[in-house]
Amino acid sequence: MADVRNGIATRAGAMILAPVGWLANLFDSPLRMLQRRTGSNGMAVFFLAPNMLVFGIFVLFPLVINILYSMTGGGALFLGDRTFVGADQYGRLFSCSSYLDPKSCIEDLFWIAVWNTLAFVVLQVAMMVAVALVTALVLNRELRARSFWRAVFFFPVLLSPVVVGLIWRWILQRQGLLNLMVFEAGGTPVNWLVERNWAFTAAIMVSVWAHVGFYALILLAGLQAIPKDLYEAAEMDGTRPLRVFWRITLPLLAPNLLVVLVLTLIRAVQIFDEVYVLTGGGPGTSTLFLTQYIYEVGFASMLRNPGLASAASILMGAVLVVLTLIQLGIARRNEQRGKMR
Amino acid sequence: MSQITLTGVSRAFGKVGVLHDINLNILDGELIVFVGPSGCGKSTLLRLIAGLDRPTGGAIAIDGKDVTTVPAADRGLAMVFQSYALYPHMSVRQNLAFGLENARMARAEIDARIAEAARMLEIAPYLDRRPGQLSGGQRQRVAIGRAIVRNPTAFLLDEPLSNLDAELRISTRAELAALHERLSATMVYVTHDQIEAMTLADRIVVLRAGRIEQIGTPLDLYNHPANLFVAGFIGAPRMNFLPVKVAAGGTGRSSLTLDGSAGFEIDGNVSAVNGDVTLGQRPHHISLADAGKGDIAARVALVEALGSETIVHTKTSGGQTMLAVVAGQCPVASGDTVDLKFDTSHLHLFDDTGQRIAVS
Repeated sequence: MADVRNGIATRAGAMILAPVGWLANLFDSPLRMLQRRTGSNGMAVFFLAPNMLVFGIFVLFPLVINILYSMTGGGALFLGDRTFVGADQYGRLFSCSSYLDPKSCIEDLFWIAVWNTLAFVVLQVAMMVAVALVTALVLNRELRARSFWRAVFFFPVLLSPVVVGLIWRWILQRQGLLNLMVFEAGGTPVNWLVERNWAFTAAIMVSVWAHVGFYALILLAGLQAIPKDLYEAAEMDGTRPLRVFWRITLPLLAPNLLVVLVLTLIRAVQIFDEVYVLTGGGPGTSTLFLTQYIYEVGFASMLRNPGLASAASILMGAVLVVLTLIQLGIARRNEQRGKMR
Repeated sequence: MSQITLTGVSRAFGKVGVLHDINLNILDGELIVFVGPSGCGKSTLLRLIAGLDRPTGGAIAIDGKDVTTVPAADRGLAMVFQSYALYPHMSVRQNLAFGLENARMARAEIDARIAEAARMLEIAPYLDRRPGQLSGGQRQRVAIGRAIVRNPTAFLLDEPLSNLDAELRISTRAELAALHERLSATMVYVTHDQIEAMTLADRIVVLRAGRIEQIGTPLDLYNHPANLFVAGFIGAPRMNFLPVKVAAGGTGRSSLTLDGSAGFEIDGNVSAVNGDVTLGQRPHHISLADAGKGDIAARVALVEALGSETIVHTKTSGGQTMLAVVAGQCPVASGDTVDLKFDTSHLHLFDDTGQRIAVS
């Protein structure tokens, strides 16, 4: 019986492998010929070419087009119909009496968006890192149903930003869930999304809520990589809990904290979707951030200016490149430190 | 320096008992070694003494003061961890100073203690390096230094040599023994290596499955093992065991009959006469005899020539493996038939429960 079964398996294997072998033979001769003619470097180019082509079409080409657009003017969509203006669009963005006073700039909305984004980045990054750290510290403790709580904190990360924005709009709108609870508790309902400061705070809170699970997970991994022996040695040394945190946990978690800090920074600079759904940039321009400015100038406003939007996006891209380089530098340094330990 | 007393100490994790009714008195200035196979509870016992874990029963006292519920930091003990547990982001100096800073000691005093420990352990050149820049042996010294600077009442060492290579382990073992001599400190040392236990200990505590099997000096345990487990665990190569029948022999003598051989007589009356017992004989006490002049014939299975001595692995006709350690180099080869001769003055007998039988 076993022989019969083995025989069937062998025949089935041969049937599956036959077309593979046939295909391999089909390509074998031309590939060998190619290698003879181009050498091993040529073969590397041959195999990399499809990937490079995709990268070229979807990344490099749009980047070049974007740079070219940023040097043209007018509302025409196609590059051929547009007028070359050199660095005028950049000049327009930087044309200000005082950068601290957006009203003194020709593109006041750009500078409002810049300062809003900067404020958002500072506050949101600080809050994100702090909340992620506290969350990770709590989830690292011996909790009941620890896996469940970890899943709960990670769940918002799985949601689409639009869903996040809608959920929180239902909660924060004038007749939303939060005001209902405030009212039931005897308080006065607040226009969370209409009052400037509350709307800005809501934008920060919602983006922290949506992404904190991901960063907490990175920090949790870092916390779990700290050997338990070190804490026991500290206990034997009579170290107080707060000192253990400052002198042992925090320094050993620093590499993960740096990664979280840089990733949060990059993401905060790019903030758009959930806040756009939540507040639409309002009230007024109080939650207008750079990406929304680019989107609106390039696509959504009555007087579209793709050149100006491209120039703004190139500037934002430059900031992101710097932040990414910092992150890569940190990752490389962590790797080297890891090897030294 | 201090005396540590454990009374009826037990530890269970849920329904699983790890330590059962441990009673032990560690004397002031003594180097006591907990030894036993993996999972016997020796490290758990050390952690209970350290205060890193709490017993589920019994009491622990240091110098007569009950410390069962006292936090680790307040017991005045210092511990050297198996992994050394050095803070990787701090220099050696900072590692040594950390515990003293916690106690808010004056800077000058901290510096003096670090300098003294560094001199004693010869780690002064590495004080500004981080643990990652040190070799295994240097890290081990720093870990001991961190314990020394605290001037503890007792040192707890959890398999401190297990991460070192064989050569370094031997030299560090000697250094540890010298350090104990110099400090005259109470030291509790955990190891699974019985050679470490034999060479370092004033007394050895042999543990198995959470119970103490025997407490005694190294030679006590070697010469008078209380049971089959201790007899097999202490000594390398391990003791040979053979099932024998014991009966009364001539006046003041007992007769032992080996499976498939004539047997022989030993001095003294065996208390459990006329029964099946287990005979134990260390390989060093078995010699190779001329044909027909030994106590049991066996076939050589393997010969390990170490130069200064030869370990001969044999198999008896009853299927038991017997090892003999012969001084010098021995001209036997696998497949030879040899006669094994027992040294009757170094025989050990164990009853059917595995306990030692006294020969009166």
